[in-house]
Amino acid sequence: MKRFLILTKAMTLMQLRNGYVLFWNFAFPVLLMVIYGAVMSQYMDYMTPGVIVLNALSFGLVSSSTMMLEMREKSVLRRLQATPLPARQLIGSYLLVNVIIGVLQSTLIILAGVLLYDVPVTGTSLLLSYPMILAGLLAFMALGGIISGMTAKAGAATAVGMTIYFLLMFISDMVFPLDMLPEWLRNVVAYLPAYPVVQLVRSALLEATLDPKWLTHLFLLAVYGFGATFIAAKLFRWEPKA
Amino acid sequence: MSQPIIDVQKLTATYGPVTALNGVNLTVNKGEIFGLLGPNGAGKSTLLACVEGLHNPKNGSVHVNGVDVQADSASTKSQLGIQLQKTALLDDLTVAELVEVYAALYEVYLNSEQIDALLTRFDLLEKRNTLSRRLSGGQQQRLALAVAIANDPQIVLLDEPTSALDPHARRAVWDMIRELHNEGRTIVLTTHAMEEAEALCGRIAIIDRGQVVSCDTPAALISSLKLNAMLKATVELPLEQVRTLPDVNNARYTGQHLEVETARPEVTLTALHELAARSGRSISDVMLRQPNLEDVFLKLTGHALAESNPSA
Repeated sequence: MKRFLILTKAMTLMQLRNGYVLFWNFAFPVLLMVIYGAVMSQYMDYMTPGVIVLNALSFGLVSSSTMMLEMREKSVLRRLQATPLPARQLIGSYLLVNVIIGVLQSTLIILAGVLLYDVPVTGTSLLLSYPMILAGLLAFMALGGIISGMTAKAGAATAVGMTIYFLLMFISDMVFPLDMLPEWLRNVVAYLPAYPVVQLVRSALLEATLDPKWLTHLFLLAVYGFGATFIAAKLFRWEPKA
Repeated sequence: MSQPIIDVQKLTATYGPVTALNGVNLTVNKGEIFGLLGPNGAGKSTLLACVEGLHNPKNGSVHVNGVDVQADSASTKSQLGIQLQKTALLDDLTVAELVEVYAALYEVYLNSEQIDALLTRFDLLEKRNTLSRRLSGGQQQRLALAVAIANDPQIVLLDEPTSALDPHARRAVWDMIRELHNEGRTIVLTTHAMEEAEALCGRIAIIDRGQVVSCDTPAALISSLKLNAMLKATVELPLEQVRTLPDVNNARYTGQHLEVETARPEVTLTALHELAARSGRSISDVMLRQPNLEDVFLKLTGHALAESNPSA
């Protein structure tokens, strides 16, 4: 346990000392809220959960893997593999640090929504929202794990992750309402990973209730989350692809 | 005979279609500095990777302190101190943090006095709060050594510990390696620098194209092959006369310089002086080069140490 804590502290320090990480993870989401607010201030109730999820999506698919990919490319993972540290502890520690960062990001976005745009948030809505945000984060991070396992380099992983992110962002009811889409696409979107998270977080945060289809959404998310975790674990590599 | 602390038997390792090691047998004894000498791509790092539990061999076995690496790599890993060829450590951590973390990965928990003592040893105390990526090459190499022994291992594996260092920094690292050896630790290091192997190692395995070509002390390797010394001098004498001098095996001119291969240079040199005196010639710039590991390598493998393995 002591080993896990020392490693986790080290990983946290590494993230906090990285200016790039700080900007994209903490300053950028708030900036995003300000930009959306400037363009469509009257829709910020609708937008805030959307921004939370789109941010969690980009974090899960791209940013959360970056440090791991860099460690793999620079042979840092290889050096860690040479120690008796079990792989599950390394990955557990890494995930923990990233989950904390992801939750902090969402908190910043909620704060920006409340303070800048009077998004109606209550204690109950927060209590309901965080588990939904967490579930989404974990599923997105697992999907990001598949991307980093399949790609040779961090640059390629970012490109793949960003492409999927943009696709999902536009069609998953985050920034554009679902009824703007053709019907066939709406039917597909309902089974994609981002849509259920948006519905869960939006009803929790804005109405302090569970979405009527919450069980279906969570089930779908669990399928994505566990399925992706299983595949990501199979694809995990200590060394870059030859 | 001391007990082998690392025992490699019939080790074959491949990377896809490439055979990196082919039936290697090797034993390292407790408390020695053992060198793996060979050109780039010879298989040295792969051999270390198999001992470190980082590469699964196709055939054969590696035992560390009697424990099979493949059967129980967690246990063997905990006995080793390791420095990989790329000294990539966790970025964005300070020198002191790095030492603390890497020791902790071995479940060794150092307090700040212990960390400072370790850093003092490797001349890094002043840099304790500096981010590791801001260190110079020599400092990073010393840090890699400090990290390698942070868990106080009895066996230390160093992959090219001085490559890319200037001569001054290289000698400093040599001293540190000798110090680790004086504490009773067993050191295995890879190098493609002949003078490094000669300066540090008690025994050397010469590795070429995935095989151990020969293994012995540097002196025994050199003497066993009965290699010639090379006598060089600036003098004008007919080659056919030089070749008849005692113990001369060959003679040639490169430019103005006479080069004489001889089994007994002192005898040949005296005879050469006599021949020059008789011929009324003067000898200058006399140089003697004793056979070294480079010659051993050339003789055993048919190519120079500096040449990379073409199959790598």
